Amino acid sequence: MHAWYHCENVYPFVPQEVLDRAESVRASLPNKYCDPKIAADLFAECLDEHLLCEELGVNVVSIEHHSGINSLYGASPMILGILARQTRKVRILSLGTLITIRPDPVRVAEEYATADVISRGRLEIGFVKSGDSEMVSGNANPVGYVERFWEAIDLIQKTLTSHEGPFSWEGKHFTHRHVNIWPPPYQRPHPPMWAATGDPETSAELGRRGMINALVLRGPEASKRAFDSYRDARREAGLPAPGTDRFAYAALCYVGETDEEGLRVGSKTLWFLNTSLKQSPQMSKFLPGRMPPEVAAQNYRTVPRPGSQATLRPGQSLIGITAEQAIARGILCAGNPDTVYKQMMDIYEKVGGFGHFIFIGRSGFLDHREAEKGIRLLAKEVLPRLPAATPTPAAEPARAAE
Amino acid sequence: MTNAAAEQLRVHGIELEVLHRGKGRPTLVLHGFDTIDPAAPFLDLLGRYGEIIAPSSPGFGNSPRPKDFDTVYDLVHLYLAALDALPGDKVTLIGFSFGGWLAAEVAAACSHRLDKLILVDPLGIKVSDRETPDILDVFNRSPDEVRRKSWHDPDRFAPDYNAMSDEALVVQARNREALCLYAWHPYMYNAQLPRWLGRIKVPTLLAWGASDGVVTPDYGRAYSRLIPGSRFALIERAGHHPEIEQAEVFVERVAAFLEE
Repeated sequence: MHAWYHCENVYPFVPQEVLDRAESVRASLPNKYCDPKIAADLFAECLDEHLLCEELGVNVVSIEHHSGINSLYGASPMILGILARQTRKVRILSLGTLITIRPDPVRVAEEYATADVISRGRLEIGFVKSGDSEMVSGNANPVGYVERFWEAIDLIQKTLTSHEGPFSWEGKHFTHRHVNIWPPPYQRPHPPMWAATGDPETSAELGRRGMINALVLRGPEASKRAFDSYRDARREAGLPAPGTDRFAYAALCYVGETDEEGLRVGSKTLWFLNTSLKQSPQMSKFLPGRMPPEVAAQNYRTVPRPGSQATLRPGQSLIGITAEQAIARGILCAGNPDTVYKQMMDIYEKVGGFGHFIFIGRSGFLDHREAEKGIRLLAKEVLPRLPAATPTPAAEPARAAE
Repeated sequence: MTNAAAEQLRVHGIELEVLHRGKGRPTLVLHGFDTIDPAAPFLDLLGRYGEIIAPSSPGFGNSPRPKDFDTVYDLVHLYLAALDALPGDKVTLIGFSFGGWLAAEVAAACSHRLDKLILVDPLGIKVSDRETPDILDVFNRSPDEVRRKSWHDPDRFAPDYNAMSDEALVVQARNREALCLYAWHPYMYNAQLPRWLGRIKVPTLLAWGASDGVVTPDYGRAYSRLIPGSRFALIERAGHHPEIEQAEVFVERVAAFLEE
């Protein structure tokens, strides 16, 4: 099993009454509530946690969220650059620069190729579709974002794999007449590609492309649905069945010396769900383009019609969750090493296996010292017991070329 | 997707749901953020003065949206094509809000096909400096603020979603999605349009709700100054939708203008 440490670098130090009063803790909360001196300390701590992972052989994730208390990692490629240089052995996953809100995928490819070269080929590229409020803070049209997502991926892949001089791209969403980045990526044909998604259609496309499918805080049922869709799509396309190395499961996770410690400290990560997901209705349920109008229609009702159900975005259904509920739903793994191992293997069995475990080991008021202790215990006491990832056979060349 | 009861209009191979009222001079009516409610009183009142043809733009209402039809440019050419297809020498063009923007674009391109132009609280231009938005951001501002600024009397006129049928709510969601697709960026205006408004050579009326907080009457006056010879009429006790909040006064103003 490949383990990946994922730290959101949250900013929990805004007075609760300010958060209670704010219609949204993302996109519109004034940045006067973020003290840059405290932010500097947080960056130093979180980057140090990544260096501890380097010592322990745990891979690291560089994430990106914008304009809110849920993360200070807005300029993700910069963090990627730091990790690429300061670590020497572990792999680095960008999960990821928000390509649906970036106007020029070629520039993103350039940043990724640079990080891959600096790290001497340790980069993995993960694509995410962006959170709702990020369409607002990123000034990006939420309608049509899925189509834009795939075109951006296609253009980034083409940019990373073209080495014979400029090519031209005149797509629907992006045009770039003279693409020829320097340096090219270190890894050939290109760094491994991932995407974080839970919707079965996207997972199916990931399957056809052979990309790694990560499910972030979706629980075993939704993850299994996505992974099954991935497997089915490959079978229908005549591609080899995937090993577990194509599947990643992400959860909040804290390992303590005792169950009491694991649960007490691990519960602090629920701040991410209970406090940092608050978004205004126009940035969530009324944001167009995120669900079909036939589904979005019910969100207009303040009093649901009998038998009808307002549909929440996946993240919104997590607000207010308790530690026990979060553990039961596979969102949180917390306890002593044995307990966490059992929780993880329970999820592993339910979803049909995964080769990558992304653990969100610090959030909310869980502090640096606690985070480092949890990382050490996970790395030393849990990871060695987990099953190895199984590989996915390469497609036969004739098949792959089709 | 199509409502069996609604009539259809086919323009350049594109199927549009359309409302018809009245007889006489062809009057093309372009809706705003939302499609026109077939039960809206102003429709019948307006039908006394001509043949009202009120299509739902692609993606709005029950009109399907063809693949890759997704820009204001598409909408403007659609309605230019509609002008070509309508019978008679001249057409009267009325546009509300977002549809007022489309009507202004169409009129700037093709005013020889029009006899009169009526813009009702139209969007489409940028007036203030770069740090002052002219047009209320209906996507990024809170629904409460949008409701408050859209209506003079929101409690009486703003839609009551809880009282609406599922079908009507789907139309509401389709309208919002289509509007966002076409107008997210740049937000509800064409920076080049002011230069070309001077090409509009037909009598033009700008009718404006005095309480409009989506686009203010001052924005309307600036708009009017860019269209040579146009007239600006303020309608009291109405917000962004004077045709709904003051249907009779609105139609009287329009009728007086049409009969001149």
